[in-house]
Amino acid sequence: MRVEYINPFVEAAFNILKEVLGTELTRGELYLKSTSQPVLGVTAIIGLTGDVEGRVLFDMDEKTALAIASAMNGEELKKLDELAKATITELANMITAQAVTKLSEIGFKFDITPPAIFTGEKMEVSDAAVEALIVPIEMPLGKVEINVAVREKN
Amino acid sequence: MNEVIENREEEKIKKKIDFKIVTFSLGGKEYAIDIMKVKEILKENRFTMVPNTLPFVKGVYNLRGEIIPIIDLREMFMITVEEDAEKEKDILILRLPELVLGVVVDAIDKVVGIAKEDIQPPHPLFGDVNVKYISGVVEVEGKLYIILDVDRIFGEEEVLSASYGKKKEEITERVERVTEVAKPAKQDEELDFSFIKDTLIALKSFYITEVNYEWARRRYREWSDLRREASEPVQLESVKDAEEFLKPFFSPYTSKLWGDDYHNNLLALLPDEYSGVIQVWDIGCGKGYEAYSIACILREKYGKNVIKVWANDSDLLNISMAPNLVLSQVEIPQYFIKNNFVEKYENDYRFKREIKDLIVFEYHDITHLNEYPEMDLIVARDLISFLPPEEQKRMIAEFSDSLKSQGYLMLGENEVPIGSEWKRVSEGNVVLYRKE
Repeated sequence: MRVEYINPFVEAAFNILKEVLGTELTRGELYLKSTSQPVLGVTAIIGLTGDVEGRVLFDMDEKTALAIASAMNGEELKKLDELAKATITELANMITAQAVTKLSEIGFKFDITPPAIFTGEKMEVSDAAVEALIVPIEMPLGKVEINVAVREKN
Repeated sequence: MNEVIENREEEKIKKKIDFKIVTFSLGGKEYAIDIMKVKEILKENRFTMVPNTLPFVKGVYNLRGEIIPIIDLREMFMITVEEDAEKEKDILILRLPELVLGVVVDAIDKVVGIAKEDIQPPHPLFGDVNVKYISGVVEVEGKLYIILDVDRIFGEEEVLSASYGKKKEEITERVERVTEVAKPAKQDEELDFSFIKDTLIALKSFYITEVNYEWARRRYREWSDLRREASEPVQLESVKDAEEFLKPFFSPYTSKLWGDDYHNNLLALLPDEYSGVIQVWDIGCGKGYEAYSIACILREKYGKNVIKVWANDSDLLNISMAPNLVLSQVEIPQYFIKNNFVEKYENDYRFKREIKDLIVFEYHDITHLNEYPEMDLIVARDLISFLPPEEQKRMIAEFSDSLKSQGYLMLGENEVPIGSEWKRVSEGNVVLYRKE
């Protein structure tokens, strides 16, 4: 993944999470991964097109998703209903949109697709050996893993 | 004729003959091979030399239309040979289940018949050949013959199979194994070397394979001499020792812009012109010095072509600095300034936009999937030696797949590619391998 893309995503994730949740967060070590991986339980996905092709996954477990959704809505949500899902989707959208904006400022044109959300147990993502950048973010509410796979159009 | 007569005599003496053996001498000792394995006997001196093969492969020979490899058994068993190169050599043509080949021996003697019960198991200290490759010892007329198990010597690991898939390292190791018994003095050295090999993997994830074997061997000798002189242990006891050992391994201008000599030599090796886009894959580019050097060389030589340098590194910290590399004046060779490739940036220099735009820096691990266009040049200096042997093999095969035909591969100064498709070309201190 092109070096210039990395920071916008990391910064956007950091800024938005901090802003909407108002909590402390720490960033784990970034790394590359190319194997299929288990999904924690709630995953929002946004596709990227334009100069590149790829997608961003926001992965967390249900407890974390509920805690984030509750914090963002200012009320205690008990289960992952439509409102909770819409909130997580919106969070994914905000982060990706900010990253894409930063990227366009430095000259890379990306478009994003409408987000989708998957929930369930024992899920796995396998996109044929695509190399993804993993940005792990730890918060008191739980852990969110942002998984970015982008490649240049040759 | 003599052989026939002798055979008859043998038959008279020994009532029972289970099979016959062909006897010959190697380094003054008597050996034998089961006659059923011997297709025919030949005297010849004209072989077609095959470049880049193991030292004991003398070449290939056209045996009535069948091309067979010729192996010098003496070289294979590391028996010193002193003889006139012009002299016709005695050759046994062997027919093995998977291949036909010729072996050069000192002198073929005769054919004798023997009984199974006369064969005795080999003594562990017998002859110049490892016990594993001896099927037994037999006494005939007061002389002892060591019967070689040719199926095991040549068959077991398919040393000479057409694909030549087996690695030189394994073969070399086997030759070393073969000579272990004969050369106990060498054993300690071998042990030392194999310890160093293991420590380098553990401390620096550096893997000695056929890619860098020659360097490693040379360096080991130099190293053990140095350390003994300084009365220090030969073994690598710390990461610092391992780094010291590996110091001379690295190619010129590692983590530096390429100097004028290197630059000129590479210029001389590249073709006069390219049609279309010039695609370059620079792997392990670190902070980007290498990628910028290549981009500038290509920009200078091929002004009209579109140039694309795909530069990867799996070290995030290093490669993050690459797109905005800042240089102080002292580290820039004259040539970059003369050609206007750099511009003043505060008190220092950086590369101009037009050079930066030629390079795509990517945070990427090449052991994952590599999706790139076909390449004209792949630069992977001092990189594959740090991958496990299987990965090394896989990467070189992948380089070969991703290169256009006649494309160039540049490895580290002390690395050679595996495979027969590579043609070595060099100019001064720059070596390239052209995919044929």
